[in-house]
Amino acid sequence: MLTIEATDLARRFGDAWALDGLTMEAEQGEVVALLGPNGAGKTTTVRLLNGVLTPERGRATVLGMDPRRDGAEVRRRTGVLTEAGGLDDRLTLTENLVSHARIRGIPPAEARRRAGVLLERFGMSSLASRTARGLSTGERKRVSLARALLHQPEVLFLDEPTSGLDPAATRDVLNLIGGLAEEQGATVVLCTHFLAEAARLCRRVAILEAGRLLAFGPPVGLAAGMWSGLPVELDMGGTADAGRIAQLRAVRGVTMAEPSASGARVVVEDREVIPVVLGVAMPVFSVVPRPPGLEEVYFALTGRPAADTAAVDLRAVSAS
Amino acid sequence: MSPSGRHDWNAVCAVVAKDFTAIRRSKAVVLPMLFVPVLLLVVLPFGIGLVARAAHPGDLHSILSKLPGGVARPILRYPPRQQLVILVDGYLLAPLFLIVPLMVASVLAADAFAGEKERRTLEGLLHLPIEERDLFYAKVLGAWLPAVVISWVGFAVFCVVANGVAWPVVHRVFVPTALWIVMIVWLAPAVAALGMGVMVRVSARARTAQEANQLGGAVILPLIFATVAQSTGLLLVSLPIALGVGATVWAIAFALLARGASRFTRDRLAATL
Repeated sequence: MLTIEATDLARRFGDAWALDGLTMEAEQGEVVALLGPNGAGKTTTVRLLNGVLTPERGRATVLGMDPRRDGAEVRRRTGVLTEAGGLDDRLTLTENLVSHARIRGIPPAEARRRAGVLLERFGMSSLASRTARGLSTGERKRVSLARALLHQPEVLFLDEPTSGLDPAATRDVLNLIGGLAEEQGATVVLCTHFLAEAARLCRRVAILEAGRLLAFGPPVGLAAGMWSGLPVELDMGGTADAGRIAQLRAVRGVTMAEPSASGARVVVEDREVIPVVLGVAMPVFSVVPRPPGLEEVYFALTGRPAADTAAVDLRAVSAS
Repeated sequence: MSPSGRHDWNAVCAVVAKDFTAIRRSKAVVLPMLFVPVLLLVVLPFGIGLVARAAHPGDLHSILSKLPGGVARPILRYPPRQQLVILVDGYLLAPLFLIVPLMVASVLAADAFAGEKERRTLEGLLHLPIEERDLFYAKVLGAWLPAVVISWVGFAVFCVVANGVAWPVVHRVFVPTALWIVMIVWLAPAVAALGMGVMVRVSARARTAQEANQLGGAVILPLIFATVAQSTGLLLVSLPIALGVGATVWAIAFALLARGASRFTRDRLAATL
């Protein structure tokens, strides 16, 4: 069942389009990533889908409602973690949670009970009666996330939920997001700079740049549409020299060959070509299929050179 | 306010309660809110009243009798020894009283509107299921109610101080008069609403509470001077005129607030984040 559907959604501020023609969808229980550097239009998308901003073009439905017309009802059933977190430093952690719960119409006693349970779950109960001033970035994120979950939302918009978190906290938050989608059937829209966490959690991704949608779909599907052939990694016990690479390129059915740390990276038209390749490249210790991942798809779409790291921070990319 | 036109008072009260709690914990907001009323409504009436009580008015009677339109007539009714202390604590300090609701409302409004942007808490509020109109009412009430309460409590204290300091020469309670009551019950809340109206407009453009206070000061200060200039005279005019002046201030305040409310939309607010 489709929970979120956006068609040609667009919004501009002044003369600049913050979002220009976003078409995407998300099913119940699915985690969808909005990927892109700062200024890509991720936060604008969340604001449009939650009825905070009005689109200038296009339409959207969330939980079957039009956020422009039924904004309050949409927001009643969604939860949002904003990029800044939005905790009031003058309120205690419990007060920060309870005040939002009260605005949502949850009775005071129930609001306090839920706040206690969630702060406990996020390991913040020992600080519950302390004001938010002085909390670390990670602590603020956890409290803000707890606040977004208070009313058991059917749709969660998470804007950079792991930025500023240490690896352990990042792992916990990603596990939690996965659990919310899988076990509770919540639909999660994850705005992130981090390709690795999107690749881990999301079946489909929307890649945005400067307000434009570059692609939407599963990374494997996007890759299939961008590249033909089967990429394989040849382990040759060391980087292949130029002569060996030239030999590989000369094989009929090899469309690409380049040196890698362990040997060579080769793209063949089909599996039948692999024995021929092995004959040319001997000795080969292993042949591992290496389909392009989200990282390759992202950098190919944006035309930027890929970094050679497992998790790429797109803020660094956009700043360079 | 829901599409059916009904207000969600639970949500309004929740926002007001949140703002009250936050304000109570903010020294930058609480200290000016306490310091100015204490100075204007306790220290000044006490100190000046003591001096006036001890002073020999000399030719005060001849000066007062030369004022146009018989505006000094209420004071000239009193024995000469009482005239100066009554003039000072019963009339001349009145303008200072109206500064309190204006100043408190302005400081709180800046905190409630521009302060939310500065603390980066506004976006979280915009993502909640509270209607724009209800959020606006909550923000206005959260600043206006404390301003009125502080003004009224301050006035009660002022009455005790003024009557206490003048008692040795006046021997009776001389404030509040009927016109003072008009000023407290009718005009002070109107002045607080006027301050709110100005600050709501200013805060829409400011990014921080301090910036809002600075921008608002350019508008509020002339208002304070106008208030100071006019309110003593207000205590010397007739009751209907005082009521009329109050009604005019209310009308201006409502017009400003209505304009502010019409521009207080999620879309407009989110566009400034």
